Amino acid sequence: MTNASRKRTSQYANLPSDVVNSETNMGTSRRKFLKTAGAATFGVPFIITSSALGNANRPAASDRIVMGGIGIGNMGRGDQGSFLGRGDVQYIAACDVREKNREESKARVDDRYKNRDCQVYNDFRELLARPDIDAVHIATPDHWHALLMIEACRNGKDVYCQKPETLTLREGPLMIAAARRYGRIASGGSQRVLGDYRQYVDPAWAGEFGTIKSINVSVGPLPQLCNLPEEPMEEKIDWDMWLGPAAWAPYNSKRCSGSYSIDGASWRSFSDYSGGGMTDWGAHHFGGATFICDVRELQPTDVIYNDTAEGKWLDYKYATGLSIHHNKPRTGNLHIEGTPGEQLAPRPVPAYKGNGDIYGDFIECVKTRELPFRDIEKAVNTCVLAHLGNIAYQLKRSLKWDSAAQKFVNDEEANRMVDRGRREPWQL
Amino acid sequence: MLDHAFEALKTFDFGTPLSDVQAIEDASVSAHIDADIRKDIEQRLIAALGWDISRDAKDYVCRKLAMVGSAAAVPAISDLLSNEGNSHLARHALERIPGPEAAAALATAAKDLSGKLKLGAIGSLGVRGETNAVATLASLLKDQHATVVRAAALSLGAIGGTESAAALQTALKAASADSNSLIDGLLSCAESLVKQKRATEATAIYSFLSDDDQPRLVRLAATRGLLTCAEA
Repeated sequence: MTNASRKRTSQYANLPSDVVNSETNMGTSRRKFLKTAGAATFGVPFIITSSALGNANRPAASDRIVMGGIGIGNMGRGDQGSFLGRGDVQYIAACDVREKNREESKARVDDRYKNRDCQVYNDFRELLARPDIDAVHIATPDHWHALLMIEACRNGKDVYCQKPETLTLREGPLMIAAARRYGRIASGGSQRVLGDYRQYVDPAWAGEFGTIKSINVSVGPLPQLCNLPEEPMEEKIDWDMWLGPAAWAPYNSKRCSGSYSIDGASWRSFSDYSGGGMTDWGAHHFGGATFICDVRELQPTDVIYNDTAEGKWLDYKYATGLSIHHNKPRTGNLHIEGTPGEQLAPRPVPAYKGNGDIYGDFIECVKTRELPFRDIEKAVNTCVLAHLGNIAYQLKRSLKWDSAAQKFVNDEEANRMVDRGRREPWQL
Repeated sequence: MLDHAFEALKTFDFGTPLSDVQAIEDASVSAHIDADIRKDIEQRLIAALGWDISRDAKDYVCRKLAMVGSAAAVPAISDLLSNEGNSHLARHALERIPGPEAAAALATAAKDLSGKLKLGAIGSLGVRGETNAVATLASLLKDQHATVVRAAALSLGAIGGTESAAALQTALKAASADSNSLIDGLLSCAESLVKQKRATEATAIYSFLSDDDQPRLVRLAATRGLLTCAEA
């Protein structure tokens, strides 16, 4: 990537050019690494391939974003395919604790480029240490997300992280801080926020609902503790690395299944690895609701717990006066209560940058250093709703949330649930 | 119901239905509104840690003490810090129990334990933001093991403040090998000072890290910090 290809914009406008165009890890720049490696190991090539030079449809190698992926299971495979399909990406490395995923991943990448160059890793630290990688995508189970994103930022990588981006409330601010500290582009991964709710988003931003008083999100269930028994390990998996910062537990195929089940047959069901349906689909639906209501930059101040004959439900209250309801009885998903007869001034609906989808948005922002559509701060604010809800339902009471302090007000038990201990040696 | 649940805990292990101990879960939630229930459930959980029960059962007890535990539970939980099987969830509980007793137990573990368990205790002090542990963590920056130095550096960064920053800066000047974690900790300290509106002290750190000898990623971070301080 050349300096010229990275337009300097927004938050980095005042920084020195050699600092702004930081495509480096802490030690060695990519270009310096390639130069050194080329000279020391391979010598100067006699033939420069057309792939290296690029053509009308594909930028030259030096202008492509060099990427790797961590966690190449169900979601990671899709993310990898999307990045592989882009001409402005050169995908060179993949990491997974499952041997099968590593092998399939390498075959997929090598087949794409018709070579044998993709390197695969069991340990993400080896991938993140590579100075020739600009950006990574992360699609591990949720209990790894924060640790990986923060480590990636420390290593100078831009990051696309699958949703739900956080497992606990404490993780979010630390992820944002790491991204801002090192000037990294950090995008969350819900493609549905912009893609699935346009029938509500467009009229809302056109002002047609008037002032929105409330919107309902229907999603669930809550996560549960997993106490499944040990099973014979019939797949080649680095179990200790799969568990990572989560509590030790014996191997069980349901415990670590990456299926989309949230009813006890996959890690998405279990609280050590996920916020359950509340975060898994909540990342989409709450993300859509906050987009519709234009409160993506905000967090609620109160969570009102309602236990009625018709069921338990929540009312998230914002300082703006907005209520986001969760599972309000007899109310459909994304049901909007507006202000009849009021027409607000229309505003343009935010869109992806670059060409195409959320992946294109991320890659474009890697080039321009603008904030992506699902900038990590907006993604974190979405996850906060789900985490607050999980805690309110678990404690069966209303909560007051001080978003500036990232603490509950006068509620010691709730504050004990803001985070959880990480298994040694893992640390944020 | 609660008696039955604690009886079930004696044979609790991976594979046991969680419904067998649901009454403990329910009592832990009720404890918030009833001090007597809280004291009762805490005492029962402390006693259970003394039983000959499975690793899974002790982990379960630690999860509940993380919710209802007080200083009274610290001695029983601390006994597990050196136990490879239960150390993690013992720390999970101690990270959450307020007061100097839990902090002291973790600081002792950070000094006395070795290997991964030592790293865990060091990390927990950072999570708690234990300003009283800065001297202990600072001394660990001289440890011969790079993993210990890294853990201590990140925890000092999490705690923040001028004392942590001074320790990290001293270690960074003497560092001969990988200094990334020391730098990361120092940048975190500078950010904590910015939040406390102590721009002068933060500026000194950022200036130190904006030296030409630093990697460009670090200079980027330091320059951003300097701009933030200038605007403060």
